Amino acid sequence: MSLNNVVGAVETVKSHLHPVPSYDLADHPVPTGREEVWRFTPLKRLRGLLDGPQSDAHLKWDADVPEGVTVREISAHEAAELGETKPTDRPSALAIANGGSAVLVDIPAETQLVEPLLVRLSGSTPDDIVWGHIVVRIGRHAKATVVFEHNGSAIYGATTSVLVGDGAQLDFASLQLWEDDAVHLGQVGIRIGRDAQVRTFQASLGGDLIRIVENAEYDGPGGDLKMYGLYFVDAAQHIEHRLFVDHNAPHTKSNAVYKGGLQGNGAHSVWVGDVLIRKIAEGIETYETNRNLVLTDGCRADSVPNLEIETGEIVGAGHASATGRFDDEQLFYLQSRGISSDEARRLVVHGFFADIIRRIGIPEVEQRLLAAVEDELAQHVGAPLVGTA
Amino acid sequence: MPPFQSACAYADVPEGGVLAVNVDGVAVAIVHADDGVYAIFDECSHAAIALSEGDVDATGCEIECWLHGSRFDLRTGKPTNLPAYEPVPVYPCKLEGDTIVVDLENPFTDSEI
Repeated sequence: MSLNNVVGAVETVKSHLHPVPSYDLADHPVPTGREEVWRFTPLKRLRGLLDGPQSDAHLKWDADVPEGVTVREISAHEAAELGETKPTDRPSALAIANGGSAVLVDIPAETQLVEPLLVRLSGSTPDDIVWGHIVVRIGRHAKATVVFEHNGSAIYGATTSVLVGDGAQLDFASLQLWEDDAVHLGQVGIRIGRDAQVRTFQASLGGDLIRIVENAEYDGPGGDLKMYGLYFVDAAQHIEHRLFVDHNAPHTKSNAVYKGGLQGNGAHSVWVGDVLIRKIAEGIETYETNRNLVLTDGCRADSVPNLEIETGEIVGAGHASATGRFDDEQLFYLQSRGISSDEARRLVVHGFFADIIRRIGIPEVEQRLLAAVEDELAQHVGAPLVGTA
Repeated sequence: MPPFQSACAYADVPEGGVLAVNVDGVAVAIVHADDGVYAIFDECSHAAIALSEGDVDATGCEIECWLHGSRFDLRTGKPTNLPAYEPVPVYPCKLEGDTIVVDLENPFTDSEI
C-alpha cells in the first residue's frame, strides 16, 4: 500500500468522541447536554462559560521564571501562527475568540532547566468570567519542568497549547487548587515532537466544577507520553477529566494513570479516556488506567475508557477501569496489626494516592499534594495520628 | 424569605400537563395531575434531563423522563422503574388565590412520605 492510500484512509475516521478542532465558533454549537462529550457535565453550573462575553480580565500571574525562559504577551493571531493546537470544544474556542491576547511561555532549543518554571495563577472573584489563552513552547532537545498552579476563585475558561520540540523532555503539571466556588473549563492540547518525552500531571482538588480536556498528538515517530492524574471530589463537587490521545504517527507510546477519591453526597467524578490508533500508527503502544475509591455513600464516579483501533499492527493497546470502596481485606490486615479502624482507612487512601504523587518528581509539588490529600481525608476518614507524611 | 414562594398562575398549568418554572433559581416542574397539583425538582436523577419535557400520567400521578423512560411518583419523588434509582426532590405546594406557591426549603423527606 502506498503512503497516499494510508493517509487517505486516515481521513475517514468518524467518531463522536473527539470533535474536529476548529477556531470557528459555528463548529462548536452551544451543547444541549445530550452530546456524547457533554452528557456528564452539569451545564447549568457552567456560569456562562458556554456563551460568555469578551473580556480582558486575567488571572493574576506570579511566575518564577528561570534564566533563559521568556514569558510574554502575544496576539491571538501570533498564537495561531505558532501552530498551537486548535480548540476542540466551545469553551476553549471562546477562550481564544473572547480572551483578547495570549501568553507565550518560550523555552528555547537546547535549554536545560534545573529549576521548575512555576506559574501561580489566582482569581479573586467568582462573579466575572476570565478567559485564558496560553502557549507553552519547548524547543528541540530542551529539558524543562513547567507547573501551573490555580488558586483562589474564578469562572475560568482556558485553552493551553503545549508544543514540544523534537527530542525534548518535558514534565508539565497543572494543579487545580481552587476555592469551593470556582468553575474551571480547560483544554490542554499537547503536540509531541519526534522522540520527545512528555509527562503530564493533572491534580484537581478544589472548585465547584472542574472539567479538563487533555488532547495529545504526535509530530513524528518515537514520541513517548505519560499522563498522570489525581482528583479528590467532595460533596456536590463535579470534577471531570477527558483524555484524547491521537496516535497519528508510528512507533509512539502513551500511558495514562488517573486515580480519584470521592466523598460526600453528590460528589461526581467523570473520567473519559479515548485513544485513537490511526492506520498510519503502526508499532505504537498504549495503555490507560482509571481507579476510583468511593469513600462514602452518595457519590457517583463515571469512568469510560475508549479505544478506536484502525490498525492491528501495533505492539499493544489496552485500558482498565475500576471503581470501588475500601478493600475489607486490607483494612482487616492493618487492624490485625494493631492499627485502629480510622487509621487503617486513612493509610489505605494515603497509599492509593501516594502511588500517583510519587511519580511527579517535583518535591515541592509532591509535598503540597500529599498535604492537600491529608486535608481532604480529615473530613471523612480522620486526621493522621502523627504528623503528615 | 418566606418559605412559600410564587411559582406560577394556576391557569398556566394545563390539566394533565406540566409547566417548567424557575423559582428563586431552582428549576421546578409544576404538574397538574387528576388529584391535584404537584411540584417536583425539574431534573431526572439519572441523566439530568428536564422532567418537564416528558409525559405526565395524570391518573397514575407520575411523570416520565423522555430520554430513558424512568417514571417518578409525583407524591414521593421516588422512581418507579429503572434506570433511575435515586428519588427527585418534591416540594410542598398550595394555591394562594390564583397563584401556585412552592416551599423549596422543605422538600418532603422519606419519613413524611
